[in-house]
Amino acid sequence: MSDVSMSVNLGGLSMKNPVTVASGTFAAGREYSDFFDVSLLGAVTTKGVSLKGWEGNDSPRIAETASGMLNSIGLQNPGVAALREKDLAWLARKDVPVIVNVSGHSIQEYVEVIEALEEDDRVNAYEVNISCPNVDEGGMTFGTHVPSVEAVVSSCRTATKRPLIVKLSPNVTDIAEIARAAESAGADAISLINTLLGMAIDARTRKPQLARVVGGLSGPAVKPVALRMVWQVHQAVSVPVLGMGGISTGIDAAEFMLAGATAVAVGTASFSNPRAAAEVVEGLRAYCKEQGVSDVNDLIGALQC
Amino acid sequence: MERATLVDETCSVRSNEQVGPNLFLIEIEAPRIASVLLPGQFVHVKVPGMESHLLRRPFSVYRTDASSNVLSILYQVVGFGTDVLSHLLPATSLCASGPIGSHWELPDGSASPLLVGGGVGAAPLYLFAQELSNSGVGATVVIGAQTKEALVTLGAYEDLPGISVVAATDDGTFGYAGFCTEPARTFVEDGADFVACCGPEMLMRIVAEMAARAGVPCAVSMERRMACGVGACLSCVVDTADGKKRCCIDGPIFDAREVVWQ
Repeated sequence: MSDVSMSVNLGGLSMKNPVTVASGTFAAGREYSDFFDVSLLGAVTTKGVSLKGWEGNDSPRIAETASGMLNSIGLQNPGVAALREKDLAWLARKDVPVIVNVSGHSIQEYVEVIEALEEDDRVNAYEVNISCPNVDEGGMTFGTHVPSVEAVVSSCRTATKRPLIVKLSPNVTDIAEIARAAESAGADAISLINTLLGMAIDARTRKPQLARVVGGLSGPAVKPVALRMVWQVHQAVSVPVLGMGGISTGIDAAEFMLAGATAVAVGTASFSNPRAAAEVVEGLRAYCKEQGVSDVNDLIGALQC
Repeated sequence: MERATLVDETCSVRSNEQVGPNLFLIEIEAPRIASVLLPGQFVHVKVPGMESHLLRRPFSVYRTDASSNVLSILYQVVGFGTDVLSHLLPATSLCASGPIGSHWELPDGSASPLLVGGGVGAAPLYLFAQELSNSGVGATVVIGAQTKEALVTLGAYEDLPGISVVAATDDGTFGYAGFCTEPARTFVEDGADFVACCGPEMLMRIVAEMAARAGVPCAVSMERRMACGVGACLSCVVDTADGKKRCCIDGPIFDAREVVWQ
C-alpha cells in the first residue's frame, strides 16, 4: 500500500507525525543529535523552563526500580533567557516544531515565562507544567485542585494566542475532573501523564534512595496507569490529548492513540535507547502499514470495548 | 578540543573473566568507540538479560587496542547489573554508547605527573599512563587495593616504560602497608606538578586536599547515578564552585579545585 499519512493536529499545532518527546528527558534535543536527526520528530518538547533559572534538588536524584525509575531533578534549568539564547537558536536550524514546557513557582511566573517567549517566532506551542512532583512550590501543587488549575490555565491563556497544552499529574483522585477544568479555562490540548509520586528505600542503610525522599516514577511500570488516564480524559474532554507514560515502541504509541491520544511522547525510553523516539516514529508507521491504516488519525480513540 | 561524535555501537563480548576477588575483566569488540576513546572517558552499556532494569551502566575504560578494535573494562561486582554483566559469555552482543565525557590531559609544562588510583579506580588511569609513557614524559603511579590479589593492574603499569609504580595494600600483603594516600602524599609534597586521581570519593577528596595544600593542580574522576549518559536528564550532577555540573559530559574528569565535596 502507499505511504501512511502520519500528520496530526494537536490543538492547533501541526505535527508531521504524532511523536514528540517528554519534557525533561531530551533537554532541547542537541544531546541526542549524534544519534538521530531530531527533525524526524513531530515536535521537540523542551526541558521545563522558569523565569530566572533553578538549581534543582540535591543528589542522589534518581533510583532504578522494577521496570521503571524514580527521578527528583527538581526542574533544574538556566532560565528562559538561556533557553532563547542557546536552545531555541539551535532548534531554529532544525525542521521541527518546538513545544516549550513552562514552569513556575507562582501563577505570575508562568505568565512571565510565556510573555518572555510570546514574540519569539521559534516557539510553536507551550506545555504548561502543573504536574511536577519534585518542587515544593508550583508544579504539582497547582495541578491537583480544580480552582488552581483554572487559575493557572486561564492566566496563561490570556498571555498567549499559541496552542496551549496543559500537562496533568496522575496524582489525583479524578483525572477527568482536572482535565475538564483545564479545558474550560482555555487549554487547547491536554498532556498526560507526568510521573507518579513514589519512593525507594535501601533496607541495609535504612535510608531513602533519593535525597528528597520522594520522586516521580516513570518508564514501562507506569504505562497501564497512563493508558487508563488517557482513555478517561479522551472521554471527558473534546480537546486533543498528548499521551505519554512508558512508551518505548511504535506498538506502545499505537495503544495510546487507540485509547484516545492524538499525539504521544517518548520519555524514559530515550535513556536506555538514545534512538528510541525515532524508532517509535518508524514503529508506528510500520504498525499502520501492517494494519492497513492509511491515516494515523484513524487510530485516535479507535479502541473497541 | 572538539569532542568525538557519540555512537551507539552494537558490540560483541570477546572475553569476560574473573581476575581478582570480585573483580572481572571484560573485553568488548567495539571498533567505532575503541578507535577514538581518550584516557578517562567512559562507555554507557546496556547490559543484556536484565530488561526490567531500564538504565544503562557507565563504565570507565581500562585499555583499548586500536589494532584489534577491542576495549576492556575492569569492574567490581557491586550490584545486580554488574552481577549480570559478570555472567555474559563470549560472543554475546550488547549495546554501548561512547566515547563519553571529558578526559585526562596533562597541563602545559607539566613534567612530573602523579597518578593515584584506588581499588578498581586504578584501571581508568591506565590509558593516561600509557599516553605519558609514549610521549616520554613518564609518570609516577600509586595504586592501592585491599589485598595483593586485588592489585590486578600492577603488571600492566609495570610494563610501561618510563612509569614508576608504587603499590599499597590495606592488609599489607604487598607493597606499602596501608592506604595509598600515604605514599601519594610523599610524591605530592616532593615535586609532583600535576595529580590525576580515580577511586572512592573519600580517596579523591583526600588526594585533592593534599594537592591543593601543595599548590599542585589535580584532576579527579567523579561518579554519580546516571540515567541518559548524554547530558540531557540532569540526574548525575556534581556540585561545583560554578554550580551543578553534569558528571557525564561536563565530567567525569573535573578539576578538583572546583569540586564541592559531599
